[in-house]
Amino acid sequence: MRALVIDDSRAMRRIVGSILKDFGYEVREAGDGQQALDALQEGKAEGWVPDLCCIDWNMPVMDGLQFVMAVRANPDFRQVTLMMVTTESETGQIVKALAAGAHEYLIKPFTADALRDKLALLGLLPEEVSA
Amino acid sequence: MTLQEAQPISALLDQETVQSIADEIWPALVGDGEAFVPVPVAPPAEVVSAWVTISGPWDGAVVLTCAPATAEALAESVLMTRPPTVVDDEDVADALGELANVLGGNIKSVLPGPSSLGLPQIGSAPTTGRLDDVCRVNGQWRGQSLTITVQGATEAPHPSGTEVPQ
Repeated sequence: MRALVIDDSRAMRRIVGSILKDFGYEVREAGDGQQALDALQEGKAEGWVPDLCCIDWNMPVMDGLQFVMAVRANPDFRQVTLMMVTTESETGQIVKALAAGAHEYLIKPFTADALRDKLALLGLLPEEVSA
Repeated sequence: MTLQEAQPISALLDQETVQSIADEIWPALVGDGEAFVPVPVAPPAEVVSAWVTISGPWDGAVVLTCAPATAEALAESVLMTRPPTVVDDEDVADALGELANVLGGNIKSVLPGPSSLGLPQIGSAPTTGRLDDVCRVNGQWRGQSLTITVQGATEAPHPSGTEVPQ
């Protein structure tokens, strides 16, 4: 499994990335939505398309919602699962993200178990981890 | 200006709510068994603050303030199980900023909305204005002073440091 972790906080990228690596993921990172779009294009050129993107909402340059809309508008990345990982916890924000094309929503702070549960719901938890 | 816009933070939020939010954040982000304890200790001579702004029916900032050494210890704890184990100044600013960001996002969720959250900043905290537009919890973490302040906007903040993270 492959994941792209998108957050302007290096600490949060490390935290999410570390948990995903424990689950067997190969992880890459991006600091904002535009960097993430660039990483997707570069990855595609080398045959590295993520199964999952974990996306913060509030970021400079391009925020998470704009990133979701951009990815959903690109048929090359239709199979990528998009999960918001954010402090934005208002119902209106969650609805907006899901309507834009996000598949799941995880509110910070979260535990490794909470992330694991979300991945299981999405069918993105490797068998050896879920067993 | 509507009645809702004129409400100070003291009418919207109490210290118990701030504490309950910190109670959720500390174990999840700082580490298992970690807690922000709402028992004040002597404030440090030198402080650093990280904050995020909230813009909406209530305008202001959520500010986390502690000694630089406490900020470094917080960063080490946040990053403890994730390499690298040695934190640099950027790690400290980033981790403190992310703590303020998560605090701010959760506090925003209990305030009247819709509101938007600014990006984390670090430096000297924005000045406070009206006394009734401040909700402050003076506490400690691992015996070191730590303060969470939810304060109404008085002027545009002037960070002495850089906006974090980039």
